[in-house]
Amino acid sequence: MQADVIPISILTGFLGSGKTTILGHLLRQSGFSHTAVIINEFGEVGLDHELVEASEDSFIELKTGCLCCKIRTDLALTLQDMLQRRDAGKCSPFDRIVIETSGLADPAPILQTLMTDTSIAGRLVLGGVVTTVDTVTGVSTLQREDISQKQVAIADKIVLTKLDLNGPAQPALLRRLAELNAGAPVLSADRGKIDSQCLFSAGLYDPHARSLDVNSWLGEERHSHARHDADIQTYTLVRREPIRAVTLTLFLETLAEHCGADLLRLKGIVNVAESPDRLAVIHGVQHVFHAPVWLKRWPSNDRSSRIVFITRRVPQRWVEALFEAIAAEVADVSVGC
Amino acid sequence: MVQSLAAWRVAGAVERSRDGAIVIRGARKDIRIHPAPSDPMFRWTVTIDGRKRRAISLVAVLRQVREALDPRYAANRVRVALTALVPY
Repeated sequence: MQADVIPISILTGFLGSGKTTILGHLLRQSGFSHTAVIINEFGEVGLDHELVEASEDSFIELKTGCLCCKIRTDLALTLQDMLQRRDAGKCSPFDRIVIETSGLADPAPILQTLMTDTSIAGRLVLGGVVTTVDTVTGVSTLQREDISQKQVAIADKIVLTKLDLNGPAQPALLRRLAELNAGAPVLSADRGKIDSQCLFSAGLYDPHARSLDVNSWLGEERHSHARHDADIQTYTLVRREPIRAVTLTLFLETLAEHCGADLLRLKGIVNVAESPDRLAVIHGVQHVFHAPVWLKRWPSNDRSSRIVFITRRVPQRWVEALFEAIAAEVADVSVGC
Repeated sequence: MVQSLAAWRVAGAVERSRDGAIVIRGARKDIRIHPAPSDPMFRWTVTIDGRKRRAISLVAVLRQVREALDPRYAANRVRVALTALVPY
């Protein structure tokens, strides 16, 4: 494995949900000391960076505009510049990057930029998406703001904030979060304080342990208890029989073609028929997919394929029917050959 | 096909005709889909407003039907991420 690869995580959440407060506390933790932070603000005059007391080991890039729609190129250039400065010894040797998005940002295009830009590919590995939710206004915000729903739906971890103002989280809020994303563990920040290791260990790869935690990353057990929102749905496609590689390819290609924008996130482990001794880990955000990661060991004795979908109005029945139809056609053609 | 119309949020009813074709009615165009089992290359024939086109696979059928029914349709092509999911 390449040693000098840097995990990059996204800290998102709606306006006023406590992202900057959490970041301010994180930057005071020793475990967070070698972290580079990019704060994205939306507006002519940025303020968030003034609210964060950064140690000398952290540096902050301030941008005006929204990362998800206006300055995606700037993000890639900024990251490229940071990596070059790090390599040249012109800045502290950070070993993690965190992007704090603006409260109005859609995290999916940001993830796509991180996944597809040639200037930063090979140097970064996706950490995870952490979404803050304000317990005082969370229910109404999630009801009113589509982007806040998407921020929650795509999260690997959810952090409840402002519990000191509102007491324990309301059951209605917890239900809503479970409807939108049952797979993400829900954590609590105490006046912005939360353990950094706990927060940013959300990716498939744990850079500290240098190991893979497939089950935790997949969150499939939690997704299996998901309730459905009218717009955003999470569900799991489970197949006990091995899946032919061409079936999987056609299935993913068709999903991306017909519902790319609504395929918020897809994560899965697949038993590929042609490679029975190892499992394939797949991950996609809208129409961008990672090449499968091949693992030599299954996380348990269960060899079934499990693909978790987080979608916006993509019916589970269509996904199931599409998979079955493609699998049947591939089998039919194979017999004919 | 019923599920596909629902997924695409496109109006129309799907029926099976006596000759085994899949017929989509009530949509912007009249569409019939015939299996072509005797042709090993082109497995389907899609007839849209009387014009026949061959389709090599179910995936191609879906693309033709969607293009005919959904004026907002703009196919996304899969892009493969350059950044690794785990370090090399």
